[in-house]
Amino acid sequence: MTVAQSKTQGSPASQSATELEYEGRWRVVVLNDPVNLMSYVVLVFKKVLGFDETTARKHMLEVHEQGRSVVWSGVREKAEAYAFTLQQWHLTTVLEQDDVR
Amino acid sequence: MKRIEVKLALPVVAPLLDVIKGMADGLRQNLAAPLAPLDLDAEFSAAWTGELLDAQNADVQALLAMFNDEFFSEGIIAFDEDNAEPIVRATAAIRLRLREHYLKPLGDETLESGNVELDRLDEPLRKAFMCYLFLATIQELIIQHLDSSILDS
Repeated sequence: MTVAQSKTQGSPASQSATELEYEGRWRVVVLNDPVNLMSYVVLVFKKVLGFDETTARKHMLEVHEQGRSVVWSGVREKAEAYAFTLQQWHLTTVLEQDDVR
Repeated sequence: MKRIEVKLALPVVAPLLDVIKGMADGLRQNLAAPLAPLDLDAEFSAAWTGELLDAQNADVQALLAMFNDEFFSEGIIAFDEDNAEPIVRATAAIRLRLREHYLKPLGDETLESGNVELDRLDEPLRKAFMCYLFLATIQELIIQHLDSSILDS
């Protein structure tokens, strides 16, 4: 198993707690850095998240101007996979739990 | 297969390779981008970091392989559909490392704008900033000419 695939394994005792902890929606947030080129960030968003050019540019500008952009939200496992791949492309990425149900 | 060849001025670029090699060495055990906390348990976090490091090292090797015999004899480097993606990622990694180790005194606003008077910088800082610009140029070239190869791969 690779990190990008899944985390949801563990002892049966810890399973239910883990499941509860990882329930709900999670946001994948990309943070600004002063190094990566705008064209590079657009490429990464298109490649990793499947955005079209317009959407990728919109999120890139959000990162650049507001310091952060929520690029995806959904289940924890998939959010981790996106975060891992974005980090592989050297974008600073965090996960945040979405409290709105 | 689409292939882009770039002829570089050897006397200008060759001296930058020591800096690039030094940054590459530093990336063997360290991630280029700070790893923001993701609320992972220790074991999973170690596996996560290890896989990122392995991928980063493979990318950096692809970048270093660009400076082969053809570069040292003719000044030519080449990108194609096979090496474009790892090289574009490796340039990002080394630029991030350059900022961390050399370029912080310039300030982030200056780095983002690129407005730097090279003549006013001392030798190590000037060389590091030239590397930073050189790697950005490589990255731009790849994105300009091979982005469809990267997106389709």
